[in-house]
Amino acid sequence: MRRAQPSASRAPQVALVSRPPPSRAANLRAVLAGAAWLCAACGPARVIAPSPPSPLPPHHEQAIDTTPKQRPRMMPPEVYLRAYMMWFGGLAPLDVQARARGKQLFDAWDDYLAALGLPDYRLDLPRQTQTNSLMLAVFGRLGEALCVRAVEHDLHSPKTPLDQRVVFAFDPVAAPTAAQFAERFDVLHRGFLGYPARLAPADRTARYHALFDDVAHRHKGKNPLTPDETGWAAVCTALIQHPETGLY
Amino acid sequence: MQRRMALRLLGGGVAALAARRPLWAAAAAATGPAAEHDYFVFIHAAGGWDVTLWADPRNERKGLVEPASTDNTDVAGLARWKGVALDGDTDTFAPLAASDSKLVLGPGIGALYDLRDRLTVINGLAMNTVSHPDGTMFSATGRHLAGGRAPASSIDVAIANELGADQLLPAVAIQFPSAFVGEHLDRRVIPLRVSSAATVAKSLSRSTAYLDTADRAAITAVLTDEASALAGRSVFPETYERIASQQRAQPRLIGGELEKAFTQKALQDAYPSFDYKSRSQSAGALSAAFALEAIRRNVVRSVGFALGGLDTHNQNYKQHARTLQELFGVIANLIAVLDATPHPTRTGRKLADHTHILVFSEFCRTPQINLSGGRDHYPNNSALVISPRFRGGLAFGKTDPEQLLPADAKTFADGPRPIAPPDLLATFLSAFGVPPAPYLRDGEVVPELLR
Repeated sequence: MRRAQPSASRAPQVALVSRPPPSRAANLRAVLAGAAWLCAACGPARVIAPSPPSPLPPHHEQAIDTTPKQRPRMMPPEVYLRAYMMWFGGLAPLDVQARARGKQLFDAWDDYLAALGLPDYRLDLPRQTQTNSLMLAVFGRLGEALCVRAVEHDLHSPKTPLDQRVVFAFDPVAAPTAAQFAERFDVLHRGFLGYPARLAPADRTARYHALFDDVAHRHKGKNPLTPDETGWAAVCTALIQHPETGLY
Repeated sequence: MQRRMALRLLGGGVAALAARRPLWAAAAAATGPAAEHDYFVFIHAAGGWDVTLWADPRNERKGLVEPASTDNTDVAGLARWKGVALDGDTDTFAPLAASDSKLVLGPGIGALYDLRDRLTVINGLAMNTVSHPDGTMFSATGRHLAGGRAPASSIDVAIANELGADQLLPAVAIQFPSAFVGEHLDRRVIPLRVSSAATVAKSLSRSTAYLDTADRAAITAVLTDEASALAGRSVFPETYERIASQQRAQPRLIGGELEKAFTQKALQDAYPSFDYKSRSQSAGALSAAFALEAIRRNVVRSVGFALGGLDTHNQNYKQHARTLQELFGVIANLIAVLDATPHPTRTGRKLADHTHILVFSEFCRTPQINLSGGRDHYPNNSALVISPRFRGGLAFGKTDPEQLLPADAKTFADGPRPIAPPDLLATFLSAFGVPPAPYLRDGEVVPELLR
């Protein structure tokens, strides 16, 4: 209810009379009118002619799951390369190339960028995200070259002191027994795989010892290296390509 | 209650096994023509080709189209250029149409015109891109790049996964845009990507000064045994198993025989009919020779390589027709050698009966000549298939006459639209009994292309 505001400038004042509340009859009329309107609105539904549903667009489920997984993956090639450079004396890439070349052991990095899985920006080739058999072959070639050079440096040259050896930091013995081999193999195993050989599966040392014996026996008197040195080169080559180095 | 739990576990285990069923096992169940004796050559015409010079010839000024003419093209050395007046003293070319073929082609087709009854031309491919990497991947995988990466495997990997995982080199890619993407693909088909055919021989080369072949075989045996032993102890054995399988391939790879066969000199001596001194396709000719030698030795299933020099934005467009002619010349010679070479495993059959070639580019070039005298990138494309499984002498798909943009090719399941790379790739896979759905999100088989 509003009241008129007093005004000094306006006369005579007219008093506003408050509206009386609606009677029950008026309320009833309003309710009936609303109900009648609602009834009119709820008449028979408009008939819509049925139509077949439009077909959904074709849908394929892609069976090959391309989402990333938290599972063991192949290592990118840079990891191999950095590992090789670190294992063989913290070499720079050009040092690796210089050390590995000669006697057809290796040639130039540029020849192998794509084969190693590295991007080749000259040809706009992207990096490879998975290793393949050709990549293993190239790393095998590089690894063999570096191992042979390390044997030449550490073992074949008698003047290299123990503390200046890069890989073979042990005193070699001719035709080592199983125990003698295990002691020296452990040095390589720690260096390349990062843990003692005794923690590896039990037959690993024996398997590598058999490889050593096999290669050394085959190379009696026909190599620039001695048979044992050739055997150690083979063990080194087989260790730096070990499957455990290919995972992270 | 315990019985219900046991049934649940059993059901879950069966479902998990079904879900983990590898695709290479599914391939055996795929219905369709057997293709285990077939070989595949995928060629990327790198740079973006001018389709008006070969697949979709235009020799009239209409709408945006400014045809190739003596004003913008060096016609010297173009074997199939037959001049007709365009205006004044300017000539354009007469389209190549033979009475025995429905195909109408442009002069860039070169020596491949003689094989017109074996060509399946797809025109009006809707590319929706003018980016080199994106168009390349769209053509090779049927998907546009996602975050700069291929979101699906390329056609050569799909074929190798289904039909060639047992080969020594299932998929070789010489500057070809191969992509290996996805779980449950056989890791043996990870493409061997190299920058040139000669790199393969270098990679397999070994010094004989220190270790010999027997030593390397012994080393490989140790590595294979170690990988197999680790697979037996591992929660996720797949990776070790794949390493073992890749190591197992090494003795055959580095045994010396392949290295000698794949050297540049050996390839050139074995296939002297290629033009290794070609102005634009010398590297491509060597790649084609590598493909032939690898197929002849039955060590590959698919070989992809690039033939390039087509990105001609400037005055270098004058050489575009010549580059196309050299490109198609390599393919024509490849087919000629396949025609003359016996199949390595099927007595009495030629290699050409079982070798299938798919040629694509990333897009085509603009119908108009730009201010520098060249043509830029354009979101239309054509492709070429040469395969006994495809209908020869056929051009499928079309472009509109004034804009050179893709026009509706047919009514697909989702309505009338132009054909697109996923449709072509799906059709290619289905031609060899490979179900496309596992490899391609999009695409519909076009039976009109198939025999």
